Amino acid sequence: MENVNVMTATPLETMAAVIAHDLHDGEWVEVGANLPVPRAGALLGHLTHGPNMSVMIAMTKAHLVDEPVIEEFQYITDVGAMRWAEAYYQHDQLLNNQRHRINGVFFCGGIQIDAYGNSNLIGIGEDHSKLRFRGPGGIGTCNATAQVGRWHLVTTAHNRATLVERVDFISALGYGDGEEGLREHLGLPNDGPSSIITPLCVFDFPSDTRRARLKSVHRGSSVDEVREQTGFEFKIEDDVPVTEGPTASELLLLRTRIDRGGALR
Amino acid sequence: MTTTASHPARASRVVDVADALAAVEDGMTVAIGGFINSGHPMLLVRGLIRDGRKDLRIVGAASAGLETDMLIAAGCVREVVTPYVGAEGLAGIGPAFRKAAQDGDLLVFELDEAHFYAGLRASAQRLPFNPWRAGVGTDYPRVNPALKEFRDPINNELLLAVPAIEVDVAFLHAAISDEFGNVQHLGTRYGDVAMYAASTKTYVSVERVVPNQQVRANPALTSIPGATGIIRASYGAHPFSADGAYVPDAEHIREYLAAATAWLKTDDRSAVEAYLTTYVREPATQAEYLNRIGFDRLLTLNEF
Repeated sequence: MENVNVMTATPLETMAAVIAHDLHDGEWVEVGANLPVPRAGALLGHLTHGPNMSVMIAMTKAHLVDEPVIEEFQYITDVGAMRWAEAYYQHDQLLNNQRHRINGVFFCGGIQIDAYGNSNLIGIGEDHSKLRFRGPGGIGTCNATAQVGRWHLVTTAHNRATLVERVDFISALGYGDGEEGLREHLGLPNDGPSSIITPLCVFDFPSDTRRARLKSVHRGSSVDEVREQTGFEFKIEDDVPVTEGPTASELLLLRTRIDRGGALR
Repeated sequence: MTTTASHPARASRVVDVADALAAVEDGMTVAIGGFINSGHPMLLVRGLIRDGRKDLRIVGAASAGLETDMLIAAGCVREVVTPYVGAEGLAGIGPAFRKAAQDGDLLVFELDEAHFYAGLRASAQRLPFNPWRAGVGTDYPRVNPALKEFRDPINNELLLAVPAIEVDVAFLHAAISDEFGNVQHLGTRYGDVAMYAASTKTYVSVERVVPNQQVRANPALTSIPGATGIIRASYGAHPFSADGAYVPDAEHIREYLAAATAWLKTDDRSAVEAYLTTYVREPATQAEYLNRIGFDRLLTLNEF
């Protein structure tokens, strides 16, 4: 067996491991196209401890634990996934089925993500009719983050422009302005985002404030670097642990079966 | 020859491109099927541009791709109704969509993909709206006042009312149809069926028109049982993929992206106008368009 040194894990491979470690067997996970980190994390969870997970890959329901190499798809509609499909997800029917989605875990990106876990994919600016930067649109993040059982914010851009005190527009609601009991009051089925996972660190949202707190820092980064690169103030406990990155066997799985193309390296 | 028929013949629904395009007038709401880099009825989309249609309300797919971006680049669009315009890894955000929205020249009916289908469903059900939970507490109702928060009369829960997205004409692309408008998709069907249900008229371009007997051999596969019109369109989704036929032509998509991105970055429309002239306005037929793409390229777009 090939030897892999865990000290060589890249920031993106560490992010994938954080995602994988959090997933439970039996959960339903969407793997979008062109989102290599959540894809790798979901597949790593599936291969290591999730034989009963359902993985949505390129609009199919797939079961991949016995696949030697899982190629990456460039397009969410890639027909290459047909050979793994146990079902096709007809998109409108997928969106009609929200009752079963409580068993799902979702990873939400954003052109801005703020201190209270809100995400913005709409755009940057004050006036919606004339944005300074027109974003791609919220896609399904507003609904998914409201309907799934658990969700995380994920960004590969840890900088002050992305991680801001307050997003310009909320397309996916985290904890609003930190109001107590906001999500329950609105009747939303889940408790809100669990964390923000970045190439430098993981933030979580303690239940007393719902404001981002530094949960762990990845090997190779530091509290100072995180502070320098983050556009909002956040709580720092006395002893910030090092993020639990991939084990040697996980790193081997990533590099030989899940991410052969090296998108995370 | 003997015949048992004592009734008029069943009418074919196979029509010319021009017949389908004639159903669209300036200012109408037109839905365009497919999903990001797949399944868009490009023969019809190019026809809308060639006809110089204006002020269209385009219901792009959830998620829409560069077919919607191209309509915006060509000046056909007043408003887009879609939760996304882009090309995934080829372009995270559609460049013409960005340009027109940032210039204030395009209305964006901001909504989530779940709202998108709720609105189509309301239209299909001939209701003024469908309720949806997700979106309360977000900025969607603020940036799109058509989405209204309300208390439901059954449980008094806070919900969003998503108005019906009533579509005049839907343009879709699928694998096959018989001549009577019984359409079969190969693959996931995207949201095409929801668009069909929400639309007054639906024209479907297909890779091949097949015998009615072939459809009857597997009626469970029929996705649209009764399109208004069927258009013969080999490579009708090019440069995007058609399930069961060909993959996206990434090289051509990048050619469009380079032209539209030049407009976004420099305000100079010459490259995007050259693209539209070469690939949309000049080639009057599908054959002329495909000649400009070239057989060499088309024959590389194999699925497996």
